[in-house]
Amino acid sequence: MKVKRLWLWVVAIFGCAFVLPSIARTDDLSSLSQDSNQWVLPSLNYANTRYSKLDQINTDNAKDLKVAWTMSTGALRGHEGQPLVVGDTLYFQSAYPNHVFAVDLNDYHTKWQYTPRQDEFAVAVACCDLVNRGVGYASGKIIEDALDGSIIALDAATGHVLWKAKNADPKLGQTVTSAPLIVHNKVIVGISGGEFGVRGSLTAYDLNTGKRVWRAYSMGPDSDVLIGPHFTGPHNAGINTWRGDDWKLGGGTTWGWYSYDPNLNLLYYGTGNPGTWNPSQRPGDNKWSMTIFARNPDTGQAVWAYQMTPHDAWDYDGVNEMILANLTVSPGDPTPGLVHFDRNGFAYELDRRTGKLLLAKPYDPSVNWATRIGSDGRPVVDPKYMTKAGVNVKNICPAAMGNKDEQPASYDEQTGMFIVPTNHNCMDYQAFAVKYKAGFPYVGATLLMYAGPGGYRGAVIAWDPSKGEIVWSDHERFPAWSGVLSTAGGVAFYGTMDGWFKAIDAKTGSLLYKFKVPSGIIGNPMTFMHDGKQYVAVLTGVGGWAAIGLAAGLNEPTAGLGAVNAAQDLKNYTNLGGTLMVFSL
Amino acid sequence: MIRKLGILAAAALAGAILAIPQPSAAQGTLRVCADPDYMPYSDRAREGFENKVAQAVAGYLGEKVSYTWFSMRNTPGGFHTSGGFDEFIHETLRSGKCDVVVDVPYSNQDLLTTQPYYVSSYVFVFDKARGYDIESLDSPALRDLKIGFETETPPEQGLIIRHIRLGNVPFDVGGTQGQSPAVMLDALRNGQIQVAITWEPAVGYFLRNSAYSRLAVVPLPNSRGRGAPEQYIFPMAMGVRPGDTALQKRLNAVITTHQAQLVSILSEFGVKLYHPNINPY
Repeated sequence: MKVKRLWLWVVAIFGCAFVLPSIARTDDLSSLSQDSNQWVLPSLNYANTRYSKLDQINTDNAKDLKVAWTMSTGALRGHEGQPLVVGDTLYFQSAYPNHVFAVDLNDYHTKWQYTPRQDEFAVAVACCDLVNRGVGYASGKIIEDALDGSIIALDAATGHVLWKAKNADPKLGQTVTSAPLIVHNKVIVGISGGEFGVRGSLTAYDLNTGKRVWRAYSMGPDSDVLIGPHFTGPHNAGINTWRGDDWKLGGGTTWGWYSYDPNLNLLYYGTGNPGTWNPSQRPGDNKWSMTIFARNPDTGQAVWAYQMTPHDAWDYDGVNEMILANLTVSPGDPTPGLVHFDRNGFAYELDRRTGKLLLAKPYDPSVNWATRIGSDGRPVVDPKYMTKAGVNVKNICPAAMGNKDEQPASYDEQTGMFIVPTNHNCMDYQAFAVKYKAGFPYVGATLLMYAGPGGYRGAVIAWDPSKGEIVWSDHERFPAWSGVLSTAGGVAFYGTMDGWFKAIDAKTGSLLYKFKVPSGIIGNPMTFMHDGKQYVAVLTGVGGWAAIGLAAGLNEPTAGLGAVNAAQDLKNYTNLGGTLMVFSL
Repeated sequence: MIRKLGILAAAALAGAILAIPQPSAAQGTLRVCADPDYMPYSDRAREGFENKVAQAVAGYLGEKVSYTWFSMRNTPGGFHTSGGFDEFIHETLRSGKCDVVVDVPYSNQDLLTTQPYYVSSYVFVFDKARGYDIESLDSPALRDLKIGFETETPPEQGLIIRHIRLGNVPFDVGGTQGQSPAVMLDALRNGQIQVAITWEPAVGYFLRNSAYSRLAVVPLPNSRGRGAPEQYIFPMAMGVRPGDTALQKRLNAVITTHQAQLVSILSEFGVKLYHPNINPY
């Protein structure tokens, strides 16, 4: 008996000794991500600023950029992610089939490559192309989220599988496309599949074992949503803002980006559209779809929630990134802020401690579905643009893909501006019932998207957060569906769907350099130093929702709707295929 | 005015009565609601796949099967509803005469559904020898072909939003009592149409017949290419009365443990499980 107890103690002590160093190392992600020579988090840092302190490439010499090296990703579909650089190694994940590569930056040889065996059913149910948004890193592990919901921890040195978890069942329409975020030894993972009535959730897995630690649903009873006594919002709204059991298919998926404030110990993310697309079929606010959540990353418990689009009738998923920055919206009152450019066309600036709204203004001139965001935080919807079953509602701006989708903006610390890649599309929307004709399943909503006023389909803009105004705007032929990178050199980088990699002056938006890459860009530029040289890398490989929509949609007659490029086709500009492009002076 | 009010009150009362949970099935009997004449789904001789699945499920539950027959393809104009599947549900499941519909889309709004037990797809059907290059509704080849489609289905909407309409031939098998889903295959054979778009489980049964051996079957992939999600692949479940979670639970347990057996019944009826390797757009 005594011996047995002693043995347990030994195990416990040994276990602690084994675990402790790695806790220390993951908490290091905060400081590690301050090292601009590397890029260890998907968005560079927990605040999701995508602003690098590197300045070797500046506004004077950016014109001398050239291609340093390139590598095929071996995949054809949309590449929406970014590489990571940890030490001497660059890691990246391709679109489906989700190859992961570890490349030695000294001689560009592939240290290891890993391709998961996946449930092929995922291919059929993935909504908008077979995209992926990149790997995560912590404590010597690379974390891969695969399309079929497999979460795989790989030894960063060898590529050996350390553990696997399953976060989705493709047979129920669930997939995973987002990049994981690791906080406090927890791997935070989202889920896709709102179009199949998936009830969205955010899940934390233990970094060392792959065991599930918590799962927070986007709707349902408070116990499922992880809403407790410390939550500042209404209780049980995850049920009582729905009719009957509709919340069980409530949508609110979580496939965007996640951010984290170590001082407040709060994790931030947004939820997607509510389940069943036809708003007439789901009366109520449908909480907590279309919502910004702040949660404790250790327990998953919600602290505050802010719903942007109650009772969504336009498919304006609220999943876009939350960028954490200090804001001074009221003069003399600096506030720890959270800035979110929502699909619904409004930029939301909140106090990230409480979720209190500081400012909400449209960041695209065409927004018309709501005239403004009221003082109660709810949109003032223009009834003309409210979608209804059986009615074709025309000229709603923005279109369902929003004035911005998942493509992440940067917070340019030097100028204090946000540089935001945007879409500029409007739509006609007809919602239909979810029915069953004897022997024939039926569900559907039709929607026609076209270029917004002015005939352009996208723009990169600079946003002044203190005024809530656009400072400059560079129009693009297609939606600007790549992320933006800002740097201390005063240069910002992005890519276009028609295949141009661009460097611009962050102050003015004027073009400094461009290069035509093998395929359109919907990935996110990142930067790192190696051997004293600054590199900028981006995954090219067009695809994603916008590319599908455009490639197909541009064949349609849109005359009279202001579409200048109605007869043109993305295929005339670029082609599918993933390539890692790396630039330097 | 008073009379109208009376009718309203009666309707409200009827609603209230109907809302009262019905006593569950007679002990030891799985009470199935089904169409007496809609092969390959179901018929009075119990030859359809819904009948066979019901038989198997009842077996696993240790129960017998009883049927309440009502046409799912009743013509509109009934007192309560506009006919069709709505009226079928009203007259059978909702009225408490039976407790389960064996084959409904998962997440159907009017019923409480079990977990899905199979997944199938809308499909293109055409003569193999023609070699049409058709993978999705966006395939250019479709624009030059005469297409037969079932009205009020997702593919009809898909055709409309792509402006692929001229010369296409609508079918209404799901709304016409006595009509076999094979009519679309016959239209292919006699050249009335060049491509048929229909729900695979409706025609898989007939496609096994050698008369149709020259036909190719290609599933329609889900798409969001036009903005709104277009769903052509559906998980299928069993449906019970809203609130009847007891039966839902028992059926879920059967599906969990015997899905393979249920699926093998379906495959005997030519129901193709959705093939996962197709292009998603």
